[in-house]
Amino acid sequence: MRAYQDMVFSTAVRLTSNPAQAEDISQEVFLRAYESFDNLRSSPKAGGWLKTVATNLTLNHLTRHRKRWRLFSEIFSDDTRDEELDSAAEVFDTVLAELEADERRARVEQALERLPDHQRIPLVLYHYEEMPYQDIADRLGISLAKVKTDILRGRVAMAGLLRQSDIGVPDDRRRPSSTQPGAQS
Amino acid sequence: MSSRDQTDEKLERLVSQVLRDQPLRHAPASLEARVMSQIAARSRLPWWRRGVAAWPAMVRVPVITGCAVCVPLVWVLSLWLMTRLAAATRARIAGPLATLQGTGHTLASLGALTAHIFQSIPRDWLLGGMIATATLYAVLFALVAVGYSLLYPRHEYSKVHLT
Repeated sequence: MRAYQDMVFSTAVRLTSNPAQAEDISQEVFLRAYESFDNLRSSPKAGGWLKTVATNLTLNHLTRHRKRWRLFSEIFSDDTRDEELDSAAEVFDTVLAELEADERRARVEQALERLPDHQRIPLVLYHYEEMPYQDIADRLGISLAKVKTDILRGRVAMAGLLRQSDIGVPDDRRRPSSTQPGAQS
Repeated sequence: MSSRDQTDEKLERLVSQVLRDQPLRHAPASLEARVMSQIAARSRLPWWRRGVAAWPAMVRVPVITGCAVCVPLVWVLSLWLMTRLAAATRARIAGPLATLQGTGHTLASLGALTAHIFQSIPRDWLLGGMIATATLYAVLFALVAVGYSLLYPRHEYSKVHLT
């Protein structure tokens, strides 16, 4: 369990952006692993199995609250300007490179947490879980075009958050994640 | 490829690189203790409150067999009842003579009815019967699932912690 707990927790917390919920989900993942312990004990695919179960349980959990973020997700148009894309690329290319590794990692993690659900979830599924656009659309029940737009906007919004000066402060000085406002797209 | 597409691709590549360079988040120290505590609590539960897979073979096999037999049994009983009902109706119409033919006639009717059904049943009816059978199985499994969710504490966790 110790070998995989960070991986399972990371998968859940990056999708939910809520450490308490992620811990609950991680607990459930390991309880299911315990039930399948005989099969997993010697399997080289145990890590993949745990990651898949963690992703599925987290998405199931998020689906329960889907109505809340689907409203935002359904209203869209691809109005991202070229300058915004250029500016976002510059942030990821040069601004982050100037930071120390620890600060860069903290800023990225916190910027990801502050993204609204409808941008963060497809972004995480695409970049971390390496799911194709179509699979994300199928899993979330939204259109392919919407997935692409949300991911693109998520990248731009993340760059905007990374520029902010209050990001990257230690965890104990930050607001609880449950009170985070959703960023507007 | 347009300039916008190029910028789009560059941004995707940069974000991918930055995100994949991120280390894993550390799980809370309490996670392991919580999991171990839950496992210990579950191991103390009696077998009938655990998952079907954890039931003793001498209980599990009869339950699964009983479930498998249940649906055909319902069909046979239904046919038998229908035949009896038909026979009773005929007896009322035909008078006291019909009642003398007794059980033998009933069994013969049942056999003839069954043979007739299987020989002359239209394809749509057959399909309907299969759907009805599948529905009965689904209802049966749903009942088992509901019973299981009421008895098995893992689902209590879902309600308490995840909602």
